[in-house]
Amino acid sequence: MGTKEKPRGFTRVRFMLALWAAKLSVPVLKLTRHNGTNFPGELAMKICPDFLRYVARPGKIITVTGTDGKTSVVNLLCDMLDNAGQKVLSNRLGSNVNSGVATSLITGCTVFNRARFPLAVLEVDERSSGKIYPWVMPDLTVITNLFRDSIMRNGHPEYIAGVLTDNMPPETKLLLNGDDLICAGVAPSNDRSYFGLERMATDGTACLNRINDLRICPHCAGKLRYEFVRYHHIGRAMCLDCGFRSPDCDYSGGDVDTAAMTMTVRDAGGEGTYRLLSDSVFNIYNELTAIAVFRELGYDHPAILKLMDGLKIAESRYRADRAGQVEVVMHLAKDRNALACSRVFDYVASCPGEKELILMMNNLNDDKNWSENTCWLYDCDFEFLNTPSVTHIIVTGPRAKDYRLRLLMAGVPAERIDCVREELMSVDKLRLVPDSHIYILYGTDTMNLKLAAQVREAAIRKAEEAVK
Amino acid sequence: MTIEILYPELCNLYGDLSNIEYLARSTQAEVISTSLKETPRFPTQDVALVYMGTTTERGQELVRDAFAPHLEALRRRTDAGGVTLVTGNAMEIFGEYIELDGGERLPMLGFLPIHSTRRLLKRYNSLYLGQFGDLKIVGYKSQFGHSWGDVGEGLFTTLRGAGLNPDVKPEGVRIRNFMATYLIGPLTVLNPLFAKELLRLMGVTDPKLLFEEEAMDAYRARLEEYSDPKRHFTY
Repeated sequence: MGTKEKPRGFTRVRFMLALWAAKLSVPVLKLTRHNGTNFPGELAMKICPDFLRYVARPGKIITVTGTDGKTSVVNLLCDMLDNAGQKVLSNRLGSNVNSGVATSLITGCTVFNRARFPLAVLEVDERSSGKIYPWVMPDLTVITNLFRDSIMRNGHPEYIAGVLTDNMPPETKLLLNGDDLICAGVAPSNDRSYFGLERMATDGTACLNRINDLRICPHCAGKLRYEFVRYHHIGRAMCLDCGFRSPDCDYSGGDVDTAAMTMTVRDAGGEGTYRLLSDSVFNIYNELTAIAVFRELGYDHPAILKLMDGLKIAESRYRADRAGQVEVVMHLAKDRNALACSRVFDYVASCPGEKELILMMNNLNDDKNWSENTCWLYDCDFEFLNTPSVTHIIVTGPRAKDYRLRLLMAGVPAERIDCVREELMSVDKLRLVPDSHIYILYGTDTMNLKLAAQVREAAIRKAEEAVK
Repeated sequence: MTIEILYPELCNLYGDLSNIEYLARSTQAEVISTSLKETPRFPTQDVALVYMGTTTERGQELVRDAFAPHLEALRRRTDAGGVTLVTGNAMEIFGEYIELDGGERLPMLGFLPIHSTRRLLKRYNSLYLGQFGDLKIVGYKSQFGHSWGDVGEGLFTTLRGAGLNPDVKPEGVRIRNFMATYLIGPLTVLNPLFAKELLRLMGVTDPKLLFEEEAMDAYRARLEEYSDPKRHFTY
């Protein structure tokens, strides 16, 4: 991608002032232990609203966006680039909105606005793309997938696809999920490659989820026939009326074997058999995406295999502890996000053994400021929890009564449900059947995180006391 | 008893279809799903409720085009007192036009005396508290625009939150038993008393709801919450 426009006259003075003030704020924030915030970027954009337009760009910029998997893919890419000895700028510790991206670029340039890094890998919030892409002008943009997310911010995936299309620079190459036809349709005039996973043993031919955001052809509105459906609208489809179909994938993951933990990635340049970093389909997609990015960067399969040595997918969203005769598992289930919770419910339900669940994904921040919009409960597949291995569900927090009703609607028998308003009191209801698993499903807002940690400690205490 | 859902492959955002799931499971009603390229059944068949839910912006245009040939049948149904429920931005499809960001007017069906705006960079999110006869209504709004027009008393009278637009009290539109509202999601689940009223209009005598006790418990809690003057209403 070409060099950036240079500020002139008063704009140059204002831009340099913004850059220096922002740079100066970095050590101050470190001294006051406030590093990792967006403040430098916010300050720079306050002084110079066009800051992103003029700040120096690294030699090559890769951006990663999409509903789910952005952070995991950016982490994988950065770890692999680190293994390759590449100096890379990223916002992995900061935020993915415009001020977060600005903060990273401030770190990545000198006081004379010269780029210090040959390469940047930036996570970009899809809703913020209008404030980022036209100025940052990525060389390669990866879109992991496009699903329903927060109703309030994101509306629906077709809207987000439109936002991305409207703001993507025409010169940016796209690397898209070919199994997601909403994602695959972004910015149709841009050069592009696709990645995807071949049919897996667990795939079906009909969507079993409440959400399927692509039931009709995006071109002629005809009925789509799915060759296979993995979940929601992920799969491969064709239109019975006009012949429109899922694109052929340039990077295709096949022979996925979750017992042997291997996958083979094939493309025009050859193939490589990779160790799976995780057995969840979401993470298999994340790994495939990272491999595809490295192929785009010109690395061959043997070289990529080497870079993946010792790599792990951060399991910060999952923690298991043995306590007394049970296992206590903390699992993030992104609140207000029907799809993320559906995936977690599906995963938990399919885990072996008897399970007790504490559902506490309430958004407490919303509860403090207004009241959580619970529409997402009826987009979410609570039906996965209607299975004999989930023997007991405790719903708790401000929306406990809504959860109870939703579980009943999903067919979960009333005797398996307990409704407790106070989160910490929910632990009293645990039955602690020997050799069972206690799952605490918690949300993302900071108040919820703190409370979930307390509930976990209380559950562990109770489980340990039970065997004394 | 039969309920017809129009274009569920498109009009299904924000859990809207749970409205029908709840009513149908409470009454063992038969549900017919009519897709975009099919002919609606209500003009030729006895349908107790016709329902259309929230859709995408592209969906609004597709639905407008698909439904246009059946507009006269809807008029006849409405004149005869047939029950129809339209939620979220599907209401705008029945209005006169939608004014887009650039000022361009997108013609709609012209069945309702309203016109709407679409501001894609300005999403409006709020809680809602209103009145339907003697019943209190609770719910959610999440939309890209508002509507204007002379709708009389509307469907609901706003107590807190925005009406058809933030400056007026009437929310939604009611023409006999044709009811349209901007409220999204599980309206009938959140409002069991309204759900029962709807069932009565559909001809069910002494309606009973699935999990009525639990639904009422959640409704009372939400009503108390939304009636608290300290509770903020917009996101």
